[in-house]
Amino acid sequence: MTTLTSNKPDKVRDKVHRVLLGKKQILVTEDEPLLVQLEREGIHVEYQCREGYCSSCSIKLLWGHVEYPFEPLAWVQSGYMLACCAIVKSDIEIAFFSD
Amino acid sequence: MSYSTFNRKQFDSMKEPMFFGENVNVARYDQQKHPIFEKLIEKQLSFFWRPEEVDLSSDRKDFQKLEEHEQHIFLSNLKYQTLLDSVQGRSPNVALLPIVSLPELETWIETWSFSETIHSRSYTHIIRNIVNDPTKIFDDITVNKEITKRADSVSVYYDRLIEMVSLYNTLGLGTHHVPEHGDIEISMRSLKKALYLTVASVNVLEAIRFYVSFACSFAFAERTLMEGNAKIIKLIARDEALHLTGTQHMLNLMASGKDDPEMAIIAQECKEEMRNIFIEAAEQEKDWASYLFKDGSMIGLNAQILGQYVEYITNVRMQAVGLDTAFGTKHNPIPWINAWLVSDNVQVAPQEAEISSYLVGQIDNDLSESDFDDFDL
Repeated sequence: MTTLTSNKPDKVRDKVHRVLLGKKQILVTEDEPLLVQLEREGIHVEYQCREGYCSSCSIKLLWGHVEYPFEPLAWVQSGYMLACCAIVKSDIEIAFFSD
Repeated sequence: MSYSTFNRKQFDSMKEPMFFGENVNVARYDQQKHPIFEKLIEKQLSFFWRPEEVDLSSDRKDFQKLEEHEQHIFLSNLKYQTLLDSVQGRSPNVALLPIVSLPELETWIETWSFSETIHSRSYTHIIRNIVNDPTKIFDDITVNKEITKRADSVSVYYDRLIEMVSLYNTLGLGTHHVPEHGDIEISMRSLKKALYLTVASVNVLEAIRFYVSFACSFAFAERTLMEGNAKIIKLIARDEALHLTGTQHMLNLMASGKDDPEMAIIAQECKEEMRNIFIEAAEQEKDWASYLFKDGSMIGLNAQILGQYVEYITNVRMQAVGLDTAFGTKHNPIPWINAWLVSDNVQVAPQEAEISSYLVGQIDNDLSESDFDDFDL
């Protein structure tokens, strides 16, 4: 049991999830919020504050699970997520509001 | 029911609605019905800045080098921003404080309005720095037809709510005759409806109108012109992002009925009217864009591109308050604006107070004697 608990942080950090966006699929980790990982893949997402209070980076979360290390100040519509501060916790599918 | 600055009734403020309940008595924040407003206050306080922190000396030289039509764009935009913040620096206080019923929301309204007064002071700072006679510019705001047209549309909902609330406070519910205004029906329903539409029009002001003006300010800075001005606008944009979140919370809390069940019915009834407020504002902003660029465009921005941005940002804001989008433009035609709007690079040195994560007076009290063990004198 002790070994399991001590291994847990590393296991969590190594977790990789799939993010589906239209026909694209990218792999993300739980190390960083989704926004920076999307940008690294060359996907343009609108942003302003990058800390959860302006809601510019609000995108549709079609299915899957994300978590916020800190509760964002912006109002998050149901079925939406804030890319700048959400940590992806399972495979997810996202879409931009315009799609 | 007249307003009292210290309501002597005993009641549980946790059970009051955001507006039109009891007047607030004790300004207490140990318990909060909607903790979000307390969080917004804290964030806003951490943003505190002063216009004089930004050096504008190179803007004066830049401004003199601008072509005439570019000076028209810059000054008209600045006049418009001055108008918007003149309204916002007082109206939330005048219109909303007499009817607010939660201490944390009351203080948020005051904190929000106060930050708008900093914006107003910064326009004076900018105008003083670029022209010899600021009077000419300020005086034109109340004379210029294009500007006064905008003043009407940004103040009409506020003014109606203020009139209705003052009738309610002096004469109570009923139909009252006001000379030159005719008969005005004051019912709880009509008051709440006026409130809902006011908050919607404030959201439009902060989330659409301001952003159109930001686009113009940053278009100059994209060409490395008027960069001091852009730095100030960046600080203003950071505040406005927080304010629009505040009004989005109010609108969504009202529409959900969690705060006041009657508000949910009103929100439903007003959906079409609210939609029209957004669409009308977008059309007005597009007309404004044509006025700005009437004598010529500038590199990177013209009436057409700015019009597309108006449509795009209106779609985004409508979606955020649960309305269907109204325009075809689905992508940001000026994606470079994000790099200017981003708040985390507002200042480079943390000791320069604007960095939001750098709070003045942060002291770590959690020390033990052993913390000094490796300390030799």
